[in-house]
Amino acid sequence: MSNENILEINQISKNYERKIALSSLSFVVEKGELIALIGPSGAGKTTLLNLLATILQPDSGEIIVDGKPITQYADQKKRAKKIGIIRQQFDLVGQLAVIHNVLAGRLADWGFFKSLFSLFIPQEKQVAIKALERVGLPDKQYERTSNLSGGEQQRVALARLLMQKPEIILADEPVASLDPARADDILDMLTKIAKEEHQTVIASLHSVEYARKYFTRLIALKNGELFFDLPADQVTDEQLQKLYQLKELN
Amino acid sequence: MLSFDLHKRKVLTLFLLLLFAWSLFGVNWQEGVLHSSGIGTAAEIFAAMLTPDLSLDILRLAVESSWLTLAYATAGMSLALILALIIGVLASGVLASGKSSRTLMKGSFRGVLGFMRAIHELVWAWLFVASFGLSPYAAIFALAIPYGGILGRIFADMINDVPEEPILALKAAGASKLQCLFYGYLPSVKNSMISYTMYRYECAVRSSAIMSFVGLGGLGYQIQLSLDDLHYGEVWTFIYFLIILVILIDGWSNMLRKRMQL
Repeated sequence: MSNENILEINQISKNYERKIALSSLSFVVEKGELIALIGPSGAGKTTLLNLLATILQPDSGEIIVDGKPITQYADQKKRAKKIGIIRQQFDLVGQLAVIHNVLAGRLADWGFFKSLFSLFIPQEKQVAIKALERVGLPDKQYERTSNLSGGEQQRVALARLLMQKPEIILADEPVASLDPARADDILDMLTKIAKEEHQTVIASLHSVEYARKYFTRLIALKNGELFFDLPADQVTDEQLQKLYQLKELN
Repeated sequence: MLSFDLHKRKVLTLFLLLLFAWSLFGVNWQEGVLHSSGIGTAAEIFAAMLTPDLSLDILRLAVESSWLTLAYATAGMSLALILALIIGVLASGVLASGKSSRTLMKGSFRGVLGFMRAIHELVWAWLFVASFGLSPYAAIFALAIPYGGILGRIFADMINDVPEEPILALKAAGASKLQCLFYGYLPSVKNSMISYTMYRYECAVRSSAIMSFVGLGGLGYQIQLSLDDLHYGEVWTFIYFLIILVILIDGWSNMLRKRMQL
């Protein structure tokens, strides 16, 4: 069962007014793959991730998640078990203590009263502390989240994903606002955790260097179309140069 | 276009200034601006500012009526806070599911809040005194309704201004609407809510003092009685007590705000 397709994308297109964001894009993702989406700005990376996160609907084509069309995951509690999202560091509620932001990963499983009660006496605290230990923040549970640095906040977001345990992690520019050392740190942690938990990652990245270093497969988009789709070690510098080339230079 | 507007505005300013100057000719300066002994009375009142009546009886009366004023304000504000939290959250529309139900909810509950605060607390006081008689409930309800309307409106606006990203992230993690409220919206606006409520509490103390002119007891009522008796020294004692109350609440709210920033 190791070659199971967790995600199938069939001929999806998406237009904004008259501008084409994605045109009949298709690819298949196997369970456990670490995929980096690369390409110049405006290539459609974020649009693709938003379609997968069901924030947007495709104009045509279909997305199949674990054998079922994505439209059947209308219940967000069920969807949260399949698909998790991590973006830039603005994803956390700054006023809450770190532990509650981490425990928010359990909201899909908790009823209303349990989640309300947890704000006063944290529930499943040990699991949350373990998650914080895994991301290297064991002693910050009761700190206000907004007091943490950008890199630390991104680790809290990772700890929340650890609580949520989705099968697919969508990461939209997860390290865009971090310095190189922090970015390395976060990507290393994200891919390591995903491997340990047998999760599939699809991350959009600006940096090709990070994409080659941490991911197993690179999918390059240009002008809403697939430019190449190759294992990370088969991508050549020439291809990358073509991918980012400006039109004027042709 | 802009320069034309600015130009028009200057013409309007000039016109209004001329209108004001012309209106001054309409005033009869010889009689009626101040009544005959007006200046004398004003001087007496302000002279008494430095010599408040500090006799034991008056001080005891001042403490008692300050307590009453504070009690009305506190009870009224507590009720207002509960009303504002419930109606304010509903009026923000974050609990609605569809677009049309959100518009309906926002519209109707914002309407309720508008009705509550459109009528001044003094008018509510008159209405309630007419129906309950001179009971503390009249004062408390008269404060709670308009203040609930004001607080609720501000709470709803604050909730609507919460940044979208953390809420989307909570939804993606599988949080329901109520869970989003308690994990996203309310923690994000909690501090501003407390600051604003404290400010309104200060206003409520002043309102509560003024409302007692209706006859409900409290600092305002005592001020009115002393004014009628021309005991200006007593008037200032009560006014100083009111000022102390307001300053104390301001200090408390500053302390709270400092603690929240930690």
